[in-house]
Amino acid sequence: MASPSPSKNTVTTKTSLPVELLPTDLARIVSQAHPALLLSAYYLRFPALVADPVSTLLNSLLPLATIQIAYAVICLPAVGSTLKPVKKAKPGSKKIPEPSTARGLTVFYALVLSIVSVPVLAAIQVLFGAPVTTHIPHTLLSSTHIALLAIFPLIYVHGSDGEKWREIASVYSPIDEVFGASVGCFLGAWLGAVPIPLDWDREWQKWPVTIVTGAYAGYMVGKLAGGWLWKGKRIEFD
Amino acid sequence: MADPPPRAPESKKVYEPVIPKAAPGNYNSIAAQYARAKAAKEKEEREREERNVGGILTGFGLGGGDGKGRGGNGKGDGKGTFERLNEVKELRFKGEWGWVVGFWVWLLCIHAAGLYFFTKGFLLTRLVLEEKSSCTEPPISLSTQYQGAGTPEAGCWHPKTFEKAVVIIIDALRYDFTVPFKNSTDTPSQAFHNALPFLYETAEKQPGNAFLLPFIADPPTTTLQRLKGLTTGTLPTFIDAGSNFAGTAIEEDNLLMQMKDAGRRLVHLGDDTWTALFPGYFEEEISRAYDSFNVWDLHTVDNGVVEHIMPLLSPARRGEWDVMFAHFLGVDHAGHRYGPNHPAMTAKLEQMDAVLTEVVDALDDQTLLVVMGDHGMDGKGDHGGESDDEVQAALWMYSKKDVFGRTKLDYRIPPATAKERPVNQIDLVPTLALLLGLPIPFNNLGRPIEEAFAGVKGNTWENLGAVARMTAAGIKRYQAAYYVARGVDESTVDGSPKALWETAVTTLAGTGKQQNWQDGYATFLAFQEETLRICRSLWARFDVPCMILGISILAGGVLALMMYASGNSDDGDAIDDPELDRAELQLELDNFAKGNASALEDETTTRTLFRGALMGSFLGALLCPTIWVMNRSENVLDFGLAVGAISSLVGVLYQDMRRRMSFGNPLPTTIWGWLAVIFTVSQSIGFASNSYTIWEDSILLFFLGTFGVASAFSSLRLENAADRALGIYHSVAFIALGWLASFSKLCREEQMPYCRSTYYASATSSTSAPWQLLIPFVVAAVLPAIIKSFYTGSRSYEGLAPAWISWAFRFGLVLSAVFWTLDAADDGEWFPNLPSTLLKNIRVPIAQTGFALALVAGSIAFGYAPPCISISTTAAPTPGSQITNSSGALVTILGYANAHGSRYLLLVINILLCVLMVQKPMGAGAISIMAWQILTLLEILDLLSLASSPIGPIILGLLGSFHFFKTGHQATLASIQWESAFIPLHTIRYPWSPILVALNSFGAQMLAASAVPLLVLWKQKPRRKGLLRSVVTALSWHVAYYAVVSLATTMWAGHLRRHLMLYRIFSPKFMMAALVLVVVDFIGIAVALVGLRFNSLSVGEVFGWG
Repeated sequence: MASPSPSKNTVTTKTSLPVELLPTDLARIVSQAHPALLLSAYYLRFPALVADPVSTLLNSLLPLATIQIAYAVICLPAVGSTLKPVKKAKPGSKKIPEPSTARGLTVFYALVLSIVSVPVLAAIQVLFGAPVTTHIPHTLLSSTHIALLAIFPLIYVHGSDGEKWREIASVYSPIDEVFGASVGCFLGAWLGAVPIPLDWDREWQKWPVTIVTGAYAGYMVGKLAGGWLWKGKRIEFD
Repeated sequence: MADPPPRAPESKKVYEPVIPKAAPGNYNSIAAQYARAKAAKEKEEREREERNVGGILTGFGLGGGDGKGRGGNGKGDGKGTFERLNEVKELRFKGEWGWVVGFWVWLLCIHAAGLYFFTKGFLLTRLVLEEKSSCTEPPISLSTQYQGAGTPEAGCWHPKTFEKAVVIIIDALRYDFTVPFKNSTDTPSQAFHNALPFLYETAEKQPGNAFLLPFIADPPTTTLQRLKGLTTGTLPTFIDAGSNFAGTAIEEDNLLMQMKDAGRRLVHLGDDTWTALFPGYFEEEISRAYDSFNVWDLHTVDNGVVEHIMPLLSPARRGEWDVMFAHFLGVDHAGHRYGPNHPAMTAKLEQMDAVLTEVVDALDDQTLLVVMGDHGMDGKGDHGGESDDEVQAALWMYSKKDVFGRTKLDYRIPPATAKERPVNQIDLVPTLALLLGLPIPFNNLGRPIEEAFAGVKGNTWENLGAVARMTAAGIKRYQAAYYVARGVDESTVDGSPKALWETAVTTLAGTGKQQNWQDGYATFLAFQEETLRICRSLWARFDVPCMILGISILAGGVLALMMYASGNSDDGDAIDDPELDRAELQLELDNFAKGNASALEDETTTRTLFRGALMGSFLGALLCPTIWVMNRSENVLDFGLAVGAISSLVGVLYQDMRRRMSFGNPLPTTIWGWLAVIFTVSQSIGFASNSYTIWEDSILLFFLGTFGVASAFSSLRLENAADRALGIYHSVAFIALGWLASFSKLCREEQMPYCRSTYYASATSSTSAPWQLLIPFVVAAVLPAIIKSFYTGSRSYEGLAPAWISWAFRFGLVLSAVFWTLDAADDGEWFPNLPSTLLKNIRVPIAQTGFALALVAGSIAFGYAPPCISISTTAAPTPGSQITNSSGALVTILGYANAHGSRYLLLVINILLCVLMVQKPMGAGAISIMAWQILTLLEILDLLSLASSPIGPIILGLLGSFHFFKTGHQATLASIQWESAFIPLHTIRYPWSPILVALNSFGAQMLAASAVPLLVLWKQKPRRKGLLRSVVTALSWHVAYYAVVSLATTMWAGHLRRHLMLYRIFSPKFMMAALVLVVVDFIGIAVALVGLRFNSLSVGEVFGWG
């Protein structure tokens, strides 16, 4: 893929900025631990995933949601948060920590919208050639995992602002940890289809193990690359 | 995909006199020019009579004729400068078009030459000789005279042993299925072990009555090729030159032919491959053939054979036949479906065990029983390749009387593995011929099987020597005839076994002595072995230098094509501003009037490159004799072709290098460029793997979906909300249509069990289901309306378009729909009372009418049609392109914005109708979806300004490849729909029949190739500059896709020439890619370039030249 080039904002006139982590030590630590935790959890569950994809994917939904919620709440600025990550909060001007009820609502809202995106993600998988008459639980569950990985943090951070989402949907959002991870997650899932047709007769080639693996791997890579390497850049098509 | 290097645009010199340092293509400099031009224009007063539409439009385009042409030169002769400039431009276009066609014809030759050389080295060929052995003419005089020699009653060349024979083929009977297996913890027994003990036990307990040996097949281990080997005694090659390619009947001398000539009555039961190979050989009343292709059915064939074999063996009916062939398929099908290690295999082998026991009980003394596998099976139960498991079959012969013997004591027990004492499958041919008293087929290379002639005590050396001598003489005779047919002097062939023959003959000189016969037997066998080895190396040898030569030419062709494409591609869309266009034209006119006509430069690099090709060939022709003298072993024509191809390639590449100042970054610079590269290259690399070759259709769907998603993302970035919505709509439609088309599937064997065929009524039929007959009617109703909607988007549904699309095209579609309904009525015998040929007689003219409409009427209509525009001089301003007349009236030209594309699309519609006429109902649906996808692709490219990007032509290539699969094809020989030759014809007629089959097979690729110019022409205004250049670039990218795929499959086929799956996967894929490349080259010239010429001339005549 073309390496993201510096922003030449030709389309969106409104300049949007990359998302910054909450300026706390805890946020920085959790943000580092988050991919490691996901990766090791995935690694541990991989044999079970290969043996029985449906029940493993289903049972791991709750832990995954917990990890993602914890990551979002601890590390990411919730939508509508008045906290400007760039400027230092002036002491006494406003309460630095948000009311936990508001954050709870945001989490709930983001979760609901993520679930709503599951059928869309499943439909995209089907359009790319996923089985349509069989393996429906497999496809839906893999879509749910992708939604929790890629969609949930985006909604938590950006809410449902139409302009912002148009920017995200056209892959034009400035790259940051959250957006980079989402793009990586989708690219990984895309690449995950590559080994499926091979006649190696391996158990792990079955649907949707490679897709989910690609999504997790892509999520990690995208998160790291987005948070460090290409932060603030945009992906140009032309 | 290289970034175009800086090049001097053709317009540079045009501007020079006015603004010497004008930056070419720069908006500002043109604007500055425009300011001056405007001032000049204001001086123009003269009005001119407008004679025709062209006159009107050129007039409006420039606000009247040009006053400056009046006295500038004397050649005016009443014509305005504008007309003369137009004429010059038209001539320039025609001239350049000629060069372009020349270049593409050269490229076609290069592709054909590369493929020819590779094929010559790759496809193993063998001449099929016409000669037949005859009973009365043995190849050598008989060593011992006997009563009735030379008659089939007593034995033609050797006294016969048996009157009758029962030959039972258990398809895929691997040798280890028949030998006992000791179960141990290290190697637990598998399902196929010890399930068929009968053969081994009989051979062990009654050595005089039976023997069991490993029976080695020559790859390819497919039943058809094996049966050829088992009956002719020759080595199989991919193409037996001289045999009819389409027909499968064996024409060369074979066992069954000899049996028939000797008056033996033949019976066949089981696999219908036999009836295809030996049509008319079998007694019709008692033979039973069963369909062999339904590998999921384990029992129909076997039960049918069992049902009919036992009655025929009964004493009452023994007199009805002399030789019986019974072919069981259950074991093979169990292997294909479940693999060898499955209870179904156990059951099948146990059934065979029981059947054989019964058959043996029913035999009489005069009947020989042969049981054999035609090949083995691999670990998954498949076969076709040359692995040990696939070539190691079993052979078992049985007779009620004591006949068989062993020459050594330890040979009494059948070999434990297939590595010990194997015999070749071709050895069956002389063995069976001599045992039954028949002449050995002329082409035989096998030797008599020792056990069958050694006598019960294993010491009848005289008999062994005699049969070995006779067989060897036959082989020697065949070799001599083969060398004569090939025009080769036998003595010049290295390692000629002539010396061995001499030794053998001298060894036998003292006939009568036991020792001499034994030694003679050994030397004759040595002679046979050596001859076989030589033949094997002759026929199974790939000519690697020739293959490399072919690959190099193809690679050079790809390189030349890439450089041609990148040398002619332009950076982006020209500025779209009517004021500027007008100014530019004015400047051109000014220059032209001053006599700078020479300033009109070539648009493309074609002329230089083609000259390079000519110069290169010329130099090559000069060098030719020198090289020829150095190695004169080759064929003159081949040599000339190779030198011509290489030297012209060198010439082209040299010219291209010289022309460019520097090499730009060869990698793409945009995501679209990268997508084009990734799609092409990853697919090409994937063809090295059998899995990616097998699942090519799914991969193409995946890529097309990826493009659709990328274009949806990109559409979201558009500023204009209406454009954005359109972009997303078309992207989603593009993806959804591809997905819809993916439901049309014809699975290849290797895709089982993960694929379900939907192309026909069922996986085992080749007729359409009743509901599928509705598809052509739906297409006729909907497709013209869809095409119309794309015309109305640019207000182009004017001129010929409504009549042609809504009526003529729709009429053709209805004809096709009616045709398939009649076809189904015929197949399904819906009207049993009608005469049998009536429906055929009705539907053939219907199809012919459709073709006449598409090709004859369509071509005429396209050739003479004016652009799809409508001109009105209304006062009220309407949206659409408006040009204000210099006299002040408002002229509206509907369809102005798509003058080129809307007209060219008519040609694509004609091709579409042609392709649809030869597709079965499901294929018609797929092709219609493809047409719709092409139209959405055009809109997407226009909205995203990607008309000059390589992604468009590459996606068109992917679409062509994708819908190849969706029209019921696969990259296998078996999926060719031969019956499409009979759609508009009653019988095979050359050249029409092959053309029809090609149109059916490669219809999707042809449609895609003919739509390539649309990528550029769609929504192009008239007078657009550089269209030829842009079309040629798009065509280059498009052909480059196929050329890269073809190069890759060629390389992989060459590299994997010893691969197990060569004959099943890589070789058919290579052949398909090669054919597609040549077809696309041809369509690119004959449709795309020719169509562009007519289109440009027609638009240029009306609007003037850009």
